[in-house]
Amino acid sequence: MKLLKPSWVSHNGKPIFSVDIHPDGTKFATGGQGEDSGKVVIWNMAPVLREEDEKNVNIPKMLCQMDNHLACVNCVRWSNTGLYLASGGDDKLVMVWKRAAFIGPSTVFGSSSKLANVEQWRCVTILRNHTGDVMDVAWSPHDVWLASCSVDNTIVIWNARKFPEIVASLKGHTGLVKGLTWDPVGKYIASQADDHSLKVWRTMDWQQETNITKPFNECGGTTHVLRLSWSPDGQYLVSAHAMNNSGPTAQIIERDGWKTNMDFVGHRKAVTVVKFNPKIFKKKQRNGSSPKPSCPYCCCAVGSKDRSLSVWLTSLKRPLVVIHDLFDKSIMDISWTLNGLGILVCSMDGTVAYLNFSQDELGDPLNEDEKNAIHQNIYGKSLAITTEAQLSTTIIENPEMLKYQQERQRAEQANHRMTHEAQAHKLTSVVNGESLEDIRKNLLKKQVETRTADGRRRITPLCIAQLDTGPSSIKQSSQLSCLVFSAILSCSASTPSYRPVHLVFCSPPLSIPDSVSGATAQASSLNTTAMKSNLLLTTSTKMEPMKALDSRFTERSKVMPGVTISMFNVCLESPFYLTGYVRVFSSNYKVGTFYQGHFLFLLSPTAHLQATPSSEKEPCCVVAIPVAVLKLPTPTPQKAFTLQVSTEPPVYLEVENDVSAVSGAKLSQLRCSREGREWDTLLPSRVITAAGSSDVVAVACEDRMLSVFSACGRRLLPAILLPAPMSALHCAGFYVMALTACTECTVSQSLLTQQGVPVIGLSNGKSYCFNSSLETWNLIADKQDSLVQCADFKNCISSQDAPVSQGPLALTQGHNLNAGRLASRLSSTPHHLQHGMTLVFLENQLASALTLRSSTEYHYWLLIYARFLVTEGSDYRLRELCKDLLGPVHKSAGSAWEPTTLGLRKRDLLRELLPVIGQNLRFQRLFTEYQDQLELLGNK
Amino acid sequence: MAKVQVLNVAVLDNPSPFGNPFQFEITFECMEDLPEDLEWKIIYVGSAESEEYDQTLDSVLVGPVPAGRHMFVFQADAPNTGLIPESDAVGVTVALITCTYNGQEFIRIGYYVNNEYTDPELRENPPIKPDYTQLQRNILASNPRVTRFHINWDGCSDKMEDSENVDPSPNSSSSSSMVPSSCLAGKALPVGLLSGNSMDCL
Repeated sequence: MKLLKPSWVSHNGKPIFSVDIHPDGTKFATGGQGEDSGKVVIWNMAPVLREEDEKNVNIPKMLCQMDNHLACVNCVRWSNTGLYLASGGDDKLVMVWKRAAFIGPSTVFGSSSKLANVEQWRCVTILRNHTGDVMDVAWSPHDVWLASCSVDNTIVIWNARKFPEIVASLKGHTGLVKGLTWDPVGKYIASQADDHSLKVWRTMDWQQETNITKPFNECGGTTHVLRLSWSPDGQYLVSAHAMNNSGPTAQIIERDGWKTNMDFVGHRKAVTVVKFNPKIFKKKQRNGSSPKPSCPYCCCAVGSKDRSLSVWLTSLKRPLVVIHDLFDKSIMDISWTLNGLGILVCSMDGTVAYLNFSQDELGDPLNEDEKNAIHQNIYGKSLAITTEAQLSTTIIENPEMLKYQQERQRAEQANHRMTHEAQAHKLTSVVNGESLEDIRKNLLKKQVETRTADGRRRITPLCIAQLDTGPSSIKQSSQLSCLVFSAILSCSASTPSYRPVHLVFCSPPLSIPDSVSGATAQASSLNTTAMKSNLLLTTSTKMEPMKALDSRFTERSKVMPGVTISMFNVCLESPFYLTGYVRVFSSNYKVGTFYQGHFLFLLSPTAHLQATPSSEKEPCCVVAIPVAVLKLPTPTPQKAFTLQVSTEPPVYLEVENDVSAVSGAKLSQLRCSREGREWDTLLPSRVITAAGSSDVVAVACEDRMLSVFSACGRRLLPAILLPAPMSALHCAGFYVMALTACTECTVSQSLLTQQGVPVIGLSNGKSYCFNSSLETWNLIADKQDSLVQCADFKNCISSQDAPVSQGPLALTQGHNLNAGRLASRLSSTPHHLQHGMTLVFLENQLASALTLRSSTEYHYWLLIYARFLVTEGSDYRLRELCKDLLGPVHKSAGSAWEPTTLGLRKRDLLRELLPVIGQNLRFQRLFTEYQDQLELLGNK
Repeated sequence: MAKVQVLNVAVLDNPSPFGNPFQFEITFECMEDLPEDLEWKIIYVGSAESEEYDQTLDSVLVGPVPAGRHMFVFQADAPNTGLIPESDAVGVTVALITCTYNGQEFIRIGYYVNNEYTDPELRENPPIKPDYTQLQRNILASNPRVTRFHINWDGCSDKMEDSENVDPSPNSSSSSSMVPSSCLAGKALPVGLLSGNSMDCL
């Protein structure tokens, strides 16, 4: 566990009553007392999480502050979608805030601080009904309702879809209501009040379900808040301040019969706040292949007036951790991050603390599907819409979605003739094409001034912006990136013979300045002399890996032959995908290249392979054939194996070779389980070795293909043809290292495409293109590839798409594609296998089109891929795809997102994909999320 | 909360000769459509000693005000020199912009104003009777003093209830528009202290 008290999160020393982390984890809100009003502040989360971001003056800490509450703010809560923020205060009001698009950052006029608001949050609704201070607010699951409770002894349920409509007013408490919590399945809402009672209300008829008083009878004295919490599995409700044997406790109330047999004991003063972790956990898997089923448990944080915080696991009898003297005054509120590993705590003393746990400490969080499965098991209904049957009753939540769905129906009736226009263009910050500056110059002359009947002057103000219109310009911070590689590998050579080594590193994403032009690379002090000495014999065994590489890397590297690279400073600038790459040649070493934010580092002492595109049409490819001197031992393919590739989070890889035979061809299956989430993929050749990290998974096949997958199993690169059979493979972070044994290889013929990509067709039916940035040959077509034969994506080809038959990919692959289209009729493979094969095939196509720089084909396959994901419901991949296309919304250090790919603007592509995503109601959240973000980003 | 937020006030034509009209470019934002006009006033404090020399330079109605962000330029004639005590003509004084809705003042923006001769000769030996044609007016635009008041935005009903949770400022009652500026001068601006520290603030 790590603990941090960010001193900059403060309301100038005034009490902070509430804290809540945004669902996307990028920001958090605090509420409390301001100078002469209530205050809500939205903070950037990045500086809390990362020290370098905290030090970076360019990264804002405060995003927005709102002084609109007339009196102290007692509670701030983000909606589950993250679109809205609700705040309630002593001024009896509940305000609902929404991120507004605006002309630019603005300061609070006349305020002493000159800090501009980075984000604009605007109060969209004021909810007036309470006649006393509002103490707590809570959004229901799915954001259907917003509940608020007050010292007027009532709870008001607001219709969150139609503010300020009141759904119900819950009366029955005879004291100040100081806490609210919704049942995660949406059946109940519970409230706790100063009247020594905790009441549970049904959402069906808004009547009281039960009234629990026994544990509170002894309670004397008052706490400012009584924030109770419901466990994520819905089974337990935990109260704030309760008493047991005259000791303060947090009472556990079982959903089953509302029994009150257990409590959290140990705090010396009244418990003010209880907050359950949003995740359900299960025991860590220690050995990968057979995860023993263990009982899932929840995690709960308890804060008290005694200024201490305790964190409990429902599987343990004693608290996981107790932190005393964290604050000078009572703890007021707690908020967990959505991933369940971080926690923000605020106190009356005006400070905030952040705690970060590791999965070792808490356990493996269940993913949403598993959580829903638990809900479904217990309650017969689940929050998430998981099955098609339920879709018919799904409420459409967003007007854009509704509009889209209606239009789709119409379009279907009109025999697919209509196409949807997804974007409703909104007003920008200019009026009639004039900029604000122009308007200002002539404002006095232009403004309309009249005289009223009694002779007074009356000016009609010029409206320069409507509310919630002009999209805010979010500046992408581009930062100078300088790669500094310091990798010293110096090993004792057990034999004086020279061993060829191939190292491939993929580094974490880097941002590249647009300003610099022309790729430059410097290899400072590439130590060739050290190399030579290694050849002679070195006795010292030393290695200093890059920071990102873990210790396992270090240990295994010791057996590698000696190579010394002391330092490379590489400055890259052309930000284009695949175009900007760097090569450094020094004697026979080549270093280089850039690929989608991954730095690939190739070092090959013997091989010197270079493609020199001279003229576009002339086939031209110079291949220097590497000469093998000595082979490294290569692992022999096994039938199946399992390995744990990461402990933090735990990731297991399972490989099963020759898993199934489809039309005579054998496939291998790679299965990955990570934090309880699993994915699998199919490979056409037997897997020799596999490796993975928390970010990537790499596998090497018998046919010398190296495949790299993302954490969700998305193929990142087309299969890389390694110049030699694989010997060993390691991953760490975004780095992949491949160690190959070198053998000879020959190439018979080659050609160069229009885009300047050399393509080679071999007699065995395989085609490769040379990926200049990777400096490897990538497989783009294989006539024997059973995946091609079996992939079925016929349903995903839209009639509107012009079939791409002229592109380089189509030319190389030829008739294979037609075979694929007929696969559904030819083969009778089980559906899940078919699904997997199609997915793999489509990802291959996408990656190949990228490598071939064929933008039309990329576009074509992207749409098909997206349609396939939408129809098959691959949530994670779809989300990852959208995330990549959207790019970062917020400023943070070290982002290397490129706005374009192959000359296509990624956000335009996303805009094109959104209607496709909208076709499946199941993805309406995803649709809404990205639709809104796109709108917010305001891509011209 | 206030339905109208003043986002910015830009002081135009500054510094300028004493006789030039005041010009303020005011940008404000309105949460929802206002049924009534806003009333803006510019008040010139003739003498720090007494509020009886306050001059309302002009008052304008601004409307209609739909929800959104708006701007206008408020221009008002220079103060009537005949109403300014001769001893207070040169030196630091205050100009106030106020805005009222339904007769209730909800914002007051104060600026320090420095009037001085541009001619060094006159600066050294100012005439006993001030020569207004030679005076230059310099509004300290970078340092506005903003005071906000909580008012009832929803008509005149249940005014009593609302006044309970309002700061005990003398101006929040419905009669505020009738009250001259000076009753707030102490809170908004330490006018009485001006002559002493005028050099610091300019």
